[in-house]
This record gives sequence, C-alpha cells and structure tokens, in this order.
Amino acid sequence: MRIPIFLLLLASTTLMSAQTTRIIPLRFIPTYDRNHTLTQGIHLQDSSFYSNDKDSIEIRTLKFYISGIQLNMDSDVVWKETNSYHLIDASNEQSLSVPLTIPIGIDFKRIIFNLGIDSATNVMGVQGGDLDPMRGMYWTWQSGYINFKMEGNSPLCKTRHHAFEFHIGGYHCPYNTFQCVSLPDHKAKEGINIYILLKELLSTIDLARTNQIMTPGKEALWISKEVKKCFTTFLDVR
Amino acid sequence: MKKLIVLLLLTSLAFSAYKVTDILRFIVPTGWPTPAYDFTQNPLSTDKIALGSALFYDAILSRDSTISCATCHSPYSAFTHIDHPFSHGIDNKIGTRNAPALMNLAWSTSFMWDGAIKHLDMQALAPMSNPDEMDESIKQVVSKLQHNKRYPILFFKAFSDSTITGEHTLKAISQFMLTLVSCNAKYDSVLRKEASFTEQETNGYRLFRANCASCHKEPLFTNNQFENNGLSVDTSLHDMGRMRITQDSANYLQFKVPSLRNIQFSYPYMHDGRFTRLQQVLNHYTNGITRSKTLSKPLQEPIVLSSNEKVDIIAFLYTLTDKTFLNNERFAYPKNILQ
Repeated sequence: MRIPIFLLLLASTTLMSAQTTRIIPLRFIPTYDRNHTLTQGIHLQDSSFYSNDKDSIEIRTLKFYISGIQLNMDSDVVWKETNSYHLIDASNEQSLSVPLTIPIGIDFKRIIFNLGIDSATNVMGVQGGDLDPMRGMYWTWQSGYINFKMEGNSPLCKTRHHAFEFHIGGYHCPYNTFQCVSLPDHKAKEGINIYILLKELLSTIDLARTNQIMTPGKEALWISKEVKKCFTTFLDVR
Repeated sequence: MKKLIVLLLLTSLAFSAYKVTDILRFIVPTGWPTPAYDFTQNPLSTDKIALGSALFYDAILSRDSTISCATCHSPYSAFTHIDHPFSHGIDNKIGTRNAPALMNLAWSTSFMWDGAIKHLDMQALAPMSNPDEMDESIKQVVSKLQHNKRYPILFFKAFSDSTITGEHTLKAISQFMLTLVSCNAKYDSVLRKEASFTEQETNGYRLFRANCASCHKEPLFTNNQFENNGLSVDTSLHDMGRMRITQDSANYLQFKVPSLRNIQFSYPYMHDGRFTRLQQVLNHYTNGITRSKTLSKPLQEPIVLSSNEKVDIIAFLYTLTDKTFLNNERFAYPKNILQ
C-alpha cells in the first residue's frame, strides 16, 4: 500500500512535536476566600451565598479576559504564548483551564499574564473566537472590551433585586484598566493553579454605595487594581 | 464633457479548489488620502458585500424585526434619515442625536457624533443594541440568522463557513458600508477638469476655503476631528458631546466634524438636527455662535459674510451633491436576495 508522503510528514511532525512539547494546564479557580474554595466548574449561580461578615453575597456572573501569557525565569522571559487571548468564564468549566503547550526542558519560576485586552486590540477590527463581540464582553455604545465582569446580589445594594454589576474596562490613559499580574509558580504536579480570592475585592467595595460601575473612568480603574490583587498561586488555608 | 467612470471596484478572478472567488480591490480616488480602514483584515469580495447589503436592509437585526439599518439610513439621502432631527427606532422610540450620513466610511477614523466607536466593524453593534433603536444583542442576531433559511447559505458563500459568528456578521456589514463611496459630485468633475464652476460657485468655493475648509477639509470635507462649533446647549438634552467618552472637560460640547458631501439631501443639520436649511447653518456661523471655553479655534474670530456671499457658498455646497451616489443601484435594497 502506498502511503502519501504528506501523511508521513504529518505523522512525523506530530510525533516530533509530541516529543518536544508538553502541555501544562493553567487553571483558574474562583474562590471566595482562602477557606472557601469552589470546586472547579461549579456554576456560581448554583452555589451557596457567601457570608462577608455583615453581608451575604451571591455572585451570578464572573467573566474576565486573560491575555499575553508568559513564563519567566527570574526576569527573563522563557516562553510566550502567541495570539494569547482567553475569556475565562466561571460558569463554563472548559474556559477555566487554559492548556499551555510548552517545549520540554523549559524551566520557569513565574507566570505572568495581563488581566484584560491591550489597547491596540481594543481599537482593531472585529475579531473571532474569544474576542468575538457575541461573547458579551464588548461594549456596544463605545469601542472597547469589558476586561472584567462581575454581577451578583447583595442585600446591601438598594437596587432592583439588590443587584450589583461591575463591567470593568477602558483602555485610554489615565483610566486604562489593563493590568499585569505576575505570580510565583509552585511547581504543582497538576499544572499551574491560579486562585481568585473574590473576598479581596468584595471587602474593599462598599456595596451599599458602589454597586454599578459600567463605564471606563476613575472607579473602573480602582476596581481593576483591586481585581489584580485577587489573583494568587498560593493558597494558604488559615 | 468627457465621460469618466471611476472604477471603484476592480474585479479579478482567482480560482480556488471549489469555486471561482471574486477578489475586489478598493480603489482610492485620485488625490484622496489613504483609507483608515485596513482591508487586509477584511478583504472585499462580491459575496461578502452582497451579504452585508442583505444584513443592512434586513429588519432581522432588530428585536421585533421592525427596524433595519436602512430605516434611519436611506440611500436617497446619502444614507441618513431625511427630515428627521432624531430618528424613531423600535416601538417608535426617539433617539437623541441626528442619524449621520453614511459615505466614505473607509476614511473615517472614528464613528458616532462623539467618536465613541473606534472601528467601522464595531459600529453596527451600537444601533443594534441601543434600546431606542434595534434593541437586540449580537448574540441573538447571530442565533436568528443561523436559524433563518436564507443566511447560512449566504454566509457559506461569503466566508466558506455556514456557522455564523459575530465576527463574520460584522465584517459583512462593514464590507457593504465600505462600498458607499461618494466621489462623483460636480466638485470632483471640476477638480478632474471635466466641468467648470459657474461664477457664483467659484466665488462660493473661494469663500468656503477662506471660512470653512479648516474643519471641513477637502477632499472628504471633514478633518475627522471633534470641535465645538458654538451651538447653544439644548437644555432638554444636555448633550455634552465628546466629553461623554473622554470624561475630559476639554472635550465639552465637541462633536465630530461631519462631511459636507451630499449636504443638499442630508438635512436636517447638526448633531441634534436643529437646522433644516443651509441658510440657517450659515446664519449660525455668522451670527449665532455661543462663546465658551471649548469653542473651536477657527470660530474664535467672527465669520463675516454678506447675504449674497452666503448664497454663493450654498451654491458651492450644492456642487457636492453626487447623483451617481444617491441613485446607485448597487447600494439599493437587494431585492434578489431579500425577496
């Protein structure tokens, strides 16, 4: 039987790549605080209410963009993902794990990524995949991606259904909400686990006063900085 | 007069494995600047333009299938809503700004009166989602198109993929809008030395250049900038203009400088459609300027024009009417697709 040459080539390149790269899952694990880890893929709307000392908070939506993933050895970049844009959606288990295809032999100590979408991509033409506006993370009344979206309810909010809504974005200085996150890697066997401690964010917001941020500006910038602090690779249960 | 046909789109044929694909090249009229739109990211094709035209004229884009893009952007008025200061959208709701004319969009660096939208591809999202206009999400539009008898085939023809996405929907709408080029007014013929201005038009052109052209820059008749042109604030609207987007008080009451091409048929004028006649517009510039901190620099010094001079300027502005654009069959309702 004759085997077409291109099939042989394809097979050999597949084998070669299988030998030279490995897949490290980069997992995003939304949690409330260090004691309340949500199991992966749990639908936030099905989950219990989270007591925030004086409040009980329900989170219905948690979606955010991760871009420009890279691995560093000290200050040197050892690996960079190309075309690196990922929509992480807490209600979509698949989206919580980003497989990184990394050449074997590459060692790293830090994982670095951006929270949000860079300004150049914000003003580019329409994109597909995770950047497709039909994902609901692109503003319609003005150009720009929503970098981070969190919606839920809290009795503290004197709004309809006690709802709070944070649509955080904006790529213009001085209110550029694009944030860089740099975290140490802990050499976990199963990959890189990134916890998102939402309490860090929710405890800084006075929900009675601030419960709707839907436009770029000072408040959005402040929230984006607080969101950045929620990310950690180190889960130290106290 | 030598008859000149500007070939906007040159068709060449390229053979792919399954079908003959038209690849179209966007032709920039002589003397015009390089378009702002990056065609390499969305190369024009006959099938994509045809799909875009169908989407532009199809009310399926609105929540209850009553409003299409063409409802407020009609071809016979350079794709604006003639005689309507504000357009009426879904459930007869009224907007707050005048529907702009759609032409020469490939050269636009921003969209909407306040420049809220930075790229043509994203522009259609705004009217689609606005609760007073079409009140529909792109996600829902994509789902409706997917379940429609007509569209999966049209998308397959255009993008070789019958699975409809937001990206392909918006790219197709852009393609149709990009073909809306108006470059065949009498003014253009005069520049090409195929026609000549009357004495009155010549004088109007001279006055226009002296008083208006710094913002309404030739050949597009806009500088794509934002200016406060001294309109008094309509207290029923309190529209702060570009400041809404930048949150910078330096942009208070600034609005995008509109092109003046086809102005004869795109009334009423200004962001709130407050003027119905060009005479009123010119009277505003000579006698009606409201001074404020952000008033456009070229308007700081009063513009002085006699009534005869105003008439001459209007005569010149009429030479910006492009009949081949206003009555172009290619831009009309695509009967062959939608019926």
